[in-house]
Amino acid sequence: MSAQTRSRSQRTPGERFVAAVRRRLRRTGIWVVLAFLAVWTIFPILLTLSISFKTRADVSADPGFIPSNPTLQGYASVLAQEGFRSAFINSLVVGLGTSVLTLALAVPAAYAFVRFRFRGRHLLLLFTLLPRLIPGLGLMVPLYRLAVWLGAIDQLLTLIVAFTGTVLPLAVWLLVGFFQHVPRELEEAAMVDGAALPKRVRYVVLPLALPAMITIGVLAFREAWNEFNLVLALTSSPGSRTLPYELFLMTQTTGFQNNPGQAAFAIMTIIPFIFVYLRIERFVVGGITSGAVK
Amino acid sequence: MSVVNSGTRPSLSPGQRPGSPRKRQRGPRLDITLAGQSKLAPYLFSAPAIVTVSLLLAYPVLYGLYNSLFRAPSLGAPEEFVGLENYSDMFADPAFWHALVRSAVFVFGCLILGLILGLFFAFALNRVIRQLRFLRAITIAPYIISNVAAAVMFRLVFNSDFGLLNRTIEFFGFDGPGWLSNGTLAMVVVIFCQVWTDLPLTILLLLAGLQTIDTSYLDAARVDGATGWKRAWHLSIPLISPQIVISTVWLSYSTLTGLGVVLALTGGGPLKATQTLPMEMYSTAFTDLEMNEALAIASFILILNALLTLVYVTVARRYGTVE
Repeated sequence: MSAQTRSRSQRTPGERFVAAVRRRLRRTGIWVVLAFLAVWTIFPILLTLSISFKTRADVSADPGFIPSNPTLQGYASVLAQEGFRSAFINSLVVGLGTSVLTLALAVPAAYAFVRFRFRGRHLLLLFTLLPRLIPGLGLMVPLYRLAVWLGAIDQLLTLIVAFTGTVLPLAVWLLVGFFQHVPRELEEAAMVDGAALPKRVRYVVLPLALPAMITIGVLAFREAWNEFNLVLALTSSPGSRTLPYELFLMTQTTGFQNNPGQAAFAIMTIIPFIFVYLRIERFVVGGITSGAVK
Repeated sequence: MSVVNSGTRPSLSPGQRPGSPRKRQRGPRLDITLAGQSKLAPYLFSAPAIVTVSLLLAYPVLYGLYNSLFRAPSLGAPEEFVGLENYSDMFADPAFWHALVRSAVFVFGCLILGLILGLFFAFALNRVIRQLRFLRAITIAPYIISNVAAAVMFRLVFNSDFGLLNRTIEFFGFDGPGWLSNGTLAMVVVIFCQVWTDLPLTILLLLAGLQTIDTSYLDAARVDGATGWKRAWHLSIPLISPQIVISTVWLSYSTLTGLGVVLALTGGGPLKATQTLPMEMYSTAFTDLEMNEALAIASFILILNALLTLVYVTVARRYGTVE
C-alpha cells in the first residue's frame, strides 16, 4: 500500500481509475476464493446436518435443503442402537485415557530433552523421524498379531496404549518446542530460593506449560476419537468398538440404507468435540503449526 | 498426526534458540546446576516415552519386516521361513500391480488437487486480517472429523438418487451420473474426500509460511511494478517452498497410506477401480487372512513412502529451497 500512496500524485486520472478497478477486482477475487473455501468446507457438513433431520422417505422425496418436516427419527434410530451407545462410551474412555497417558509420558520426556544434557538425548531424533516412516497402516497387522499373542484383542486398554504410541512422537516434539521457550531464569530463581526439582516442576514448569498440555491433550483425544485403522485391527466384538468402526459398520449394511441415521451418527461423532475444540482453537492451531515450522 | 514435523531439523541444543545472544554465556554450567541433584533424573524422565515409542512403533515394523519372510502353508498351520517368496509372489500378482497403479492415480490426484486448493486458500487467507480467526476456524473443521464420518458425508453429497449434486445437474436438464458406480468417477470422489480431510493441515502449513514472509520484499516488488500474480509466482511461492515441500511430503504420506476414506467410501469398488495398495493390504490381511502376504505389502508401502520422502527432500535440496 505504501508504494501506491507514494506514487499516487504522479498518476494521471486514467491510471488512477485503472488502479482502483484492479484493487477492487483483487479484493473481490480474494473474497470469491474465501467464499469457495467456506462452501468447500461447510457444505458437506451442512448437507449431512440437513439429511439427519429428514425421514428416510423424505431423503429422496423432499429435495429441499431445509427439511420441510424436520424430525428427530434419525437421531432416535441411532440412539436406540446398542452399538452406538457402547461405542460412544468406549470412544470417550479411550480418548481420555490416551490424553492422560500421552501427557504422563510426554511431559517428563520433553522436559528432560530440553533441560538436561545426557547420553541418549540424540534419541529425540527418534521422535521426529519414526512417525514419518511408520504410518498407522504399517502397524495394523503387526499390532493385531501381537495383541492376539498377548490375548489383548478387544480391550480398551490395548487401544489406549496403541494410540498413545502413535501420538507420543508429536506430543513430545510439540512440548520440546514449548519448553524451549520457558525462560530458564524462572527455574534458576526458584532454585536459588531452594526449590528442588520436584517443586520447581510442580510450581514453575507445569503451570507455564498448561496451554501446551491442553493442546496436546486435545490432539491426543482427537487422534483416539477418530482413529480407524487400528480399531479395525484391534477389536472384533461388538462391545469393544469405537465410534468410527461402528459408523463404518452402519454403512456396510445392505438393502434400504438408513441415510438420516448415518447422517445423524456422523453429526453426533462431531458435536461433542466441536465445543471443546472451538474454545481452544487458537492453542491448537498454534500447536500444529509450531510443530510444523520449527 | 505425526505428519507435521517432516523436513525439519530438530534442534538438539537444550533451551537455546539459535541466534539468541545469551547463547554463549549460558552453557553447560547452568545445565549442570539445574540437573545437579540427580544424574539419573533425565533418564528416568525420558525412558518411559522412549520405551513406549520403540515398543509400539519401531518394534512392530521390524516384526512386520521379519514376519514377511515367513508363510503358513495352509490356514492355521505353523509358519515356515520362505525368504523373499512373499515378495516375489507379490510382484507376480496382477492384483498388486493394479493396486499400485490405482494408488499412483490416487496419490497424484490428491497431490495436485490438494496443493492447488491449498495454495489458493492460503494466499486468500493471508490477505484477510480481521476475519482471519473465524475463517481459520471454519477451515480447520474437517480436521476434527474422522475419515469414516467424512466418507459418510461424501456418500450423501454424491449419492446418485438424492445427492444435491445430481439434483443440481438434473435441474439443468441433464441426467446426473452414478458417481460411485462408475470407476473413474468413484476415484474422483475418493480423491475429493481424501483432500477434504487433508486440506486443513496443508492450508495451515502454507499459511504459516506465507505469514513469515517479510512484507518489504513484496513492497519492493510492487514498486518495481510486479502484479499480484507475478509477486505470488516469483516471490511468495519460492519463499514458502520449504512449506510446499513439507505439504507435499505430508500429503503423499497421508494418501499413500490412507485406508479409512477409501474403505468407508467405496470399499475399493466398483470393480476394484479404487483398490489402492492399503486396500489391497487390508483385504489380504483381514478378508483373505493371509497375514504374512499382507505384511509384505505393508513393508512395500513403508519402503515406498520412505523413498518418496527422500526424493522430495533431495529434489528440494538440489534446487536450494530447503536447507
